[in-house]
Amino acid sequence: MSKAIEIENFTYRYPDGTPALSDISLSVEHGQKLALIGPNGAGKSTLLLAMAGFAKGTGKVLVDGFEVNSKNLKKIRTRLGCCLENPDDQLFMPTLFDDVAFGPLNMGLEPEQVKSRVAEALATVGLTKMADKAPHHLSAGQKRAAAIATILAMSPKIITLDEPDGSLDPRNRNNLMTLLRSLPQTLIIATCNMNFAAALADRAVLLDKGRIIADGEAQIIMSDADLMTEHGLELAQRKL
Amino acid sequence: MHHAHIDKFAYQDSAIHRLDSRVKFLVVLFFTAVVISLPRSSLSILACYAIGPFAVLVWAKIPLKFVFKQILLVSPFVIVLALSCPLYDRTPVAVSFGPFSWQSSLGWLRCFVILGKFIVTMLALIGLVSTTRFSDLLAGLQKLGMPRLLIIQLGFLHRYIFVLIDRAHHILQARAGRKLRNLGFRTELRTAASMLGSLFIRSIDTAEHISIAMQARGFDGNWRTLSKLKVRRCDVFFALTAAVFMSGLYFFVKPILQ
Repeated sequence: MSKAIEIENFTYRYPDGTPALSDISLSVEHGQKLALIGPNGAGKSTLLLAMAGFAKGTGKVLVDGFEVNSKNLKKIRTRLGCCLENPDDQLFMPTLFDDVAFGPLNMGLEPEQVKSRVAEALATVGLTKMADKAPHHLSAGQKRAAAIATILAMSPKIITLDEPDGSLDPRNRNNLMTLLRSLPQTLIIATCNMNFAAALADRAVLLDKGRIIADGEAQIIMSDADLMTEHGLELAQRKL
Repeated sequence: MHHAHIDKFAYQDSAIHRLDSRVKFLVVLFFTAVVISLPRSSLSILACYAIGPFAVLVWAKIPLKFVFKQILLVSPFVIVLALSCPLYDRTPVAVSFGPFSWQSSLGWLRCFVILGKFIVTMLALIGLVSTTRFSDLLAGLQKLGMPRLLIIQLGFLHRYIFVLIDRAHHILQARAGRKLRNLGFRTELRTAASMLGSLFIRSIDTAEHISIAMQARGFDGNWRTLSKLKVRRCDVFFALTAAVFMSGLYFFVKPILQ
């Protein structure tokens, strides 16, 4: 059976020539919850974009057995849902309903199926009553949940989330953690928040300066004081 | 940050809110055309036409304070235009309003007619956007044949104008927090140019991110929507009432008042 993600010797440079990712090799099993940790500018977001086919470099990236290239993009985007760092970028339609329906409609589903997917996704994130609201009327926590609903409605096997806990208060962060824990999909979460990562992930990959520094069990990596300090991170205080 | 949204009452529920967006849009379009085509020297007929949108706003429970605040917000341009009329047209005219009559100039009369037409058409327009969700309005316009590209652009404008305003506020706050003395006109100008540049670059960044978010959800350049619009009997009744009101005033009341 194919793996959720397989990356072999992937290297990517920004358009100005600055190296962003160097010789990355990584494989993620289906159902795994993986935390991509690292300081700012480590290459976490770029790696997530590479998985979704938005950062084209050298090497090989496979999503659910399909190589990331222009021919397979449609298949990849129905299998991998990517949630951007800023929910305002993710929610671009006039109402939340339209936003969540955007993906299923592009998948070519029938109107009734689209409606049922939207209802299910909004119920999962607890925003059923907000369906007719404009995204700019939502709070930060609701926007984050809504951004996840836009992905869930497409029923992807893999979900990537870029700094999902950013600018959330503790209550909203806990709500988000409860939601993410309940998802059966493969989750790849890029974050600088070790407590958030420790609470969700069973595996952690430490990235710095575009290279993989450590890869292993989340609790072990995130409790290694020397490793964390060396790469500008903090220790996970508790398993939430 | 929360802004006063022009469509904040569009989420209420009333008989007017439930009308089909296409019917409301077409009625407002015809109403505007009729009001604009009224003679430039009759204020009384304008007052009669104002009854229509006024009744709609009251029926839809849109606070009139909000309506007049919105009109005031966009009025400066029209006020400048209207106030220029008395300067170039000083032809004396006798003005009568009900039992009162006095001497004035044609310029002043035109000034008040321009302001009157502006207020009446704005009442209708605010009535439309305050009783119709922007998404429904866009869907209606699409059904009426407006180009898809324009619909997408209007949708994005409505969605991101508030994000852009937020960013501009943050930049201004950052500037105010560090500006401890008067910097002089040239330095202020240079700072303003840098702020605009920063806002522009952030807008491009946002556009790139939105493009990624859209493509990630399968967008291939074709805009697909779930149409929820349906013309019902009440929509036909509303359109007929509006047509009778507009044509009745135009063909029967206007000749009497002129």
